[in-house]
Amino acid sequence: MNARRSPSGRWLANEEYRWALLWLGGLALLWIWNTLYLNPPALAQLEQAFVNTLIGAAAVVVMTLLLGWSVGTGLYFLESRGRRMVSLGLTFALNLLRSVPQMVGILAGYIILTILIQREVLQSPALQVLWMAFTVTAFTFLELADVIRERIDFYRRSDFFDAMLCCGIRESRIVNIEILWKNSVAHVLQKLIAVFGMAIFLQCSIDFIISVGLSREVSLSNFPVTLGGLLATLDSKQDILAISTFFTNPAYLLRLATTHLQGISVAFAIVFTLLCVYKVSNGIVRRYRL
Amino acid sequence: MTPYRFDIRIRHNRRTLVEIEAFHLPKGKVTFLLGESGIGKSLSAKALFGLLETEEFDARIDGQPYADHRRSPLAERFLREGFFVFQEPSTHLNPLMRLEDQISEGSLAGAPARAAILAQLWQESRPGEIQSLLEVYPKANRPSGGEKQRILCAMAFLKMELAARHGAADPLFVFDEPTGNLDNRYRDIVLEEILRHFRQFRPTVLLITHDYSMISWVTRQHGDILESINFTELSLEEGRGKLREFQPRTYLGWLSSRQPVRSGREAPEGHATILRVESGISVYGRTLGFSRTPGGEGCPLALRRSSMAYLKAPSGTGKTTIVKIMMGLVRGRNLRMQLGSGILSEATPRRLWQERIWGKRMTMVFQHADEALNLRSRVREVFEGLPLPESRTAEAIGAELLQFFGGSIPRGFLDQEVGTLSGGQKQRLNLLRSLLLDADVLILDEPLNGLDFTSMQRVLELLERKVKEGRALLLISHNEEIFDALVAPENIYYLSASFPE
Repeated sequence: MNARRSPSGRWLANEEYRWALLWLGGLALLWIWNTLYLNPPALAQLEQAFVNTLIGAAAVVVMTLLLGWSVGTGLYFLESRGRRMVSLGLTFALNLLRSVPQMVGILAGYIILTILIQREVLQSPALQVLWMAFTVTAFTFLELADVIRERIDFYRRSDFFDAMLCCGIRESRIVNIEILWKNSVAHVLQKLIAVFGMAIFLQCSIDFIISVGLSREVSLSNFPVTLGGLLATLDSKQDILAISTFFTNPAYLLRLATTHLQGISVAFAIVFTLLCVYKVSNGIVRRYRL
Repeated sequence: MTPYRFDIRIRHNRRTLVEIEAFHLPKGKVTFLLGESGIGKSLSAKALFGLLETEEFDARIDGQPYADHRRSPLAERFLREGFFVFQEPSTHLNPLMRLEDQISEGSLAGAPARAAILAQLWQESRPGEIQSLLEVYPKANRPSGGEKQRILCAMAFLKMELAARHGAADPLFVFDEPTGNLDNRYRDIVLEEILRHFRQFRPTVLLITHDYSMISWVTRQHGDILESINFTELSLEEGRGKLREFQPRTYLGWLSSRQPVRSGREAPEGHATILRVESGISVYGRTLGFSRTPGGEGCPLALRRSSMAYLKAPSGTGKTTIVKIMMGLVRGRNLRMQLGSGILSEATPRRLWQERIWGKRMTMVFQHADEALNLRSRVREVFEGLPLPESRTAEAIGAELLQFFGGSIPRGFLDQEVGTLSGGQKQRLNLLRSLLLDADVLILDEPLNGLDFTSMQRVLELLERKVKEGRALLLISHNEEIFDALVAPENIYYLSASFPE
């Protein structure tokens, strides 16, 4: 039976809203704690890394939306207008891109970024973040393009599509507005949230790999600081290692929470964000029965 | 006998789906519950029968929580002694059991006359056809929708036989659109069986339908028991369901006054043919052809301006398929079609259909409004993107809408999501979207689906107006009685399918 709830209660009954709120609350608490106990230079670095990572991930989401939507619909229109060869060529190129492991591809993008920085072509930190985002986007947008193709193909087989065509409604309107905008927003949104989490994960992983020196071609010294890069610094690594002391000496917990904050905060911000994004995405899947 | 009388309220996700005061059901009589689809006929019947999911719906019967009604002796008796034939038969059949096991399962075990009932419902079947059908585990496409519907009806008739034999105390039998997937011949057989069993022991029968032509069949075939038959119409008034007695003479009088639609300005044969389609179109392993009489000699289908043509065929022949071929949506081999002075074939590029034909020269109304409309659109958005003439401004469309809905559009209707409308409202929108266009040829596939009597009259008036404006209409409908009266005999065509040896 449906119990009566207040508007805020109904709002919070949705898993995705609850986890989004929890994410914001958790980060706010972390920030308050850090302003009390983390030294100002480390706090400033942490804030900058967090902002850069979020901006990067948000940029990946926007670029994925633009690129994924264009490629998904573009492929459909090429096929429906009989441009089979162009469509096949584009599908082949996209499948080639799909076959490249994400980590390897993004690493290649970072090599190009290093070269651009060394040649003083790309000096602005904002542009560097955007380049990093673009590199990640190149390996995530296909996920959205696939969702868009699936949605179009699903409706393409239904009377809904043919009935609108028979009424003279333009195919581009049917695809973009009637199918994707009115009937697939939840699917697209869920995929974009997943891409947001994926972007944070990939960016942190690559930055971490690069900064601990696994790659000789690229160095993070001139890159904008991100959570992954910050996690790889010596201070952060020592903070993470300090957690193990807590297991043998529980009284160490207080010191852990007051003197080893940088690494723990970075690790917490990454893991907590990924967990919340995962839960928000799952909430949308359940709510809209995707 | 005092009739059953219930106040029903059913809500889902804080939205009221059904609110009916005094839903009455005379005991020991047959009640035909008419009315447009999607206003709560099926849901109310399920609620009375104790079949609603308490998890999904917030329902109250006579002001009491639904759980109390389900536990009541009355609902328990309905379930024990009666039967419910569901509108969508697939939902009732267990895909993990053979049909043979399902029709003799549980309370149907030991039911007499099984073979006779099945033979009655499968007249003209090939030897062994019934037995091979009973061996089937139900799947989406096998048995067909019509066969599934007949299986469910057979189960109901078996239960009726049992109830008659055991002298059950006033059982309730509900038939929810029991003939929706059947052609007229089998529709008549099913109706005949329902009324034959009713005559045996006079149970309470509720038959939900929006097929008004059942009225004339019942009046014609069972006129001697008309005092035991009620025709009731459910309609929505300010969001509440109202039940009213429907007088058979209202429909019969209207039907007898119908005349074939003629514009009065038809050109001589051949002079104003706007669409001509040759017979012999091959698709899905069959060849489709037109004729003037059932099984008669093949001829082309010719539509003239200012005329209404009617295409008939038994269910499953391919009526919808042929009109989709004519609309360029399905590719059929040997398509030879002339639209005005242009020749169209299966080789005609899709681009030409898009740029010159769809919505401009020809348009089509699909049979299921639920599938043909974007349920996520708002009502006003249904008309966006149509290639309408400039004269059709938003105000003009609003006026048409108002007229089409009988001047009674509820407040906020234009901003309502299509998915939340009743089936009849959706069907009217589905029709209006195509009828607003200036196309020369209008193809209408089951245009009267899900409409109540008043809406049906309005739709037919609008179709007549389109004919008088010079349009050519091609109709497919199982409402043969109505369209036989409206379409001139020379404009009636029969579709037949032949299969290669």
